[in-house]
Amino acid sequence: MRPALRFALFFSVSTTSFSFTRLLPRNIHLSSPLRFSLHLHSFSSGSPPPMGNTTPSDAAATVVVAGGLDGDGGVQEPSIPFSYSMETQFEHFRAQMEESGNIRERIRSVASEIEATLRVMHAGLLLVHQSLPAPEVLKKANAQIEVLRILYDRLAQILIECPGQYYRYHSDWRSETQTAVSLLAFSYWLETGSLLTHAEAENELGLDASEFGLDIEDYLTGLCFMSNELPRYVVNQVTAGDYDCPRNVLKFLTELHSAFRMLNLRNDFLRKKFDGMKYDLRRVEEVYYDVKIRGLAPAESTT
Amino acid sequence: MATKPHRLHQMASVLSSAKKPRMMSTNSSMKEEFAKHADYLNQLNDKRERVVKASRDVTMNSKKVIFQVHRANKDNREEVLSKAEKDLAAVTEQFMSRLVKELKGNDFWKLRRAYTFAVQEYVEAATFCRFCRKGSLLDLKEINSTLLQLSDQYEEPLQINALDYLLGLADLTGELMRLAIGRISDGEVEYAEKICRFVQDIYRELTLLAPIMNDNADMKKKMETMLQSVMKIENACFSVHVRGSEYIPLLGTNDVDYSFMGLPDFDS
Repeated sequence: MRPALRFALFFSVSTTSFSFTRLLPRNIHLSSPLRFSLHLHSFSSGSPPPMGNTTPSDAAATVVVAGGLDGDGGVQEPSIPFSYSMETQFEHFRAQMEESGNIRERIRSVASEIEATLRVMHAGLLLVHQSLPAPEVLKKANAQIEVLRILYDRLAQILIECPGQYYRYHSDWRSETQTAVSLLAFSYWLETGSLLTHAEAENELGLDASEFGLDIEDYLTGLCFMSNELPRYVVNQVTAGDYDCPRNVLKFLTELHSAFRMLNLRNDFLRKKFDGMKYDLRRVEEVYYDVKIRGLAPAESTT
Repeated sequence: MATKPHRLHQMASVLSSAKKPRMMSTNSSMKEEFAKHADYLNQLNDKRERVVKASRDVTMNSKKVIFQVHRANKDNREEVLSKAEKDLAAVTEQFMSRLVKELKGNDFWKLRRAYTFAVQEYVEAATFCRFCRKGSLLDLKEINSTLLQLSDQYEEPLQINALDYLLGLADLTGELMRLAIGRISDGEVEYAEKICRFVQDIYRELTLLAPIMNDNADMKKKMETMLQSVMKIENACFSVHVRGSEYIPLLGTNDVDYSFMGLPDFDS
């Protein structure tokens, strides 16, 4: 209990008044022959004050003791400069931390706007499962890309203020970016049937690789997320009567999967997501099989 | 599910015709794209591996420095501390310099996980040495200026960031606790009390900082451990005070140095 109280005293001192804080180092210095002074006290009163509150006799003792100390080459030291610089250093840290806290807050607010935009875009893209014609769905979803671009530009503006610290704050927008890539890649695939490349993804988000680029691992993770969407797409397309769809999706997904296998992944998040891709692949294969075995697939299909 | 498509087949085929002509990318373009990414990931992994290796060396050798400092007592101080300082300088030159070489630009923050513990350990060793030598806190600026000398030839010198420094300081209190207990058993009570005040200072300052640090989960845990250490020192000092009063008569008979040096006169 007592250490806690002592600490509380110090704490309130250093936060409440600056003028007092200035005195602190000197207090520490004076109380450095603590044992000595405490023994003096213990003759008269039972419990001396824990720190500071030095009496004239203490101060006198300090002078004597400090004088005798210099010879022993050991423990002593000029406590005043040390304690003082300690304080200023920590004040400096506090300012630094507060600044980076502010940046983080600003980033988070942009990230949450990005997330909201992505939700709208995602919901728009989900209409594709309800057999709405792709062009119409895409038009709706792609309307959000412009909004995304503006938001990513704001993010980039914040990060320009702290060069080289992209990855310090990366975690604050990482998952949003992964989702963004997955949605962009999905809509790009719906439109063209091919893979959205990293450069194209950066381009769509209006990112400039030299200042604020798209992290490759985020891009790849986004592609894995996209693949999760495909089994559902295939199922619904077949239900709606597009029997050619499974073949196309299967081909695309097989290619994507084998392309991913070129990568030496670490045992991390991306690896886990990639491992999940094979279940998507299997599901699509099943659908293709179901369609093919019943002779529903168009005649020209040969896989 | 199999029968349904049959029924829908006829009418749906009209709808779906719009989507059919889409063709997939050629296999090779996708392979090309991924070959680039494979290169990128390989390079990144290699670099990370090198950082991890350098970090392991930094950690291991910093620990040795700390152990060395613990071997000091009032008789062999000078010798032991000089050796510790020499070892620390070797860590800086041999191993920290390897880290410095790897961590340029964005990698500094990207690979932080890989090296943060090593840097914390290094900070701990460096501040520990300094405290035992001078009784003061080695500040970040000074550590970084040492590192700056290492990286003259590189355009972007590695600078330890405040987070790693503070996490290192948090660990330092654990070592200081051991030191204080050791000093008390060696009779260097004044020294122990000095340590006590120093640790209290650090704990107080970190209390203000811990909640606003970036990833403060680690720091929170360390703060708890730190409070344990601080209290251990305080309690040890308290016990010595209480028992120490039994020796007060000696104060009068010995000269003033006695109260500072611990018990050198007592020994003789």
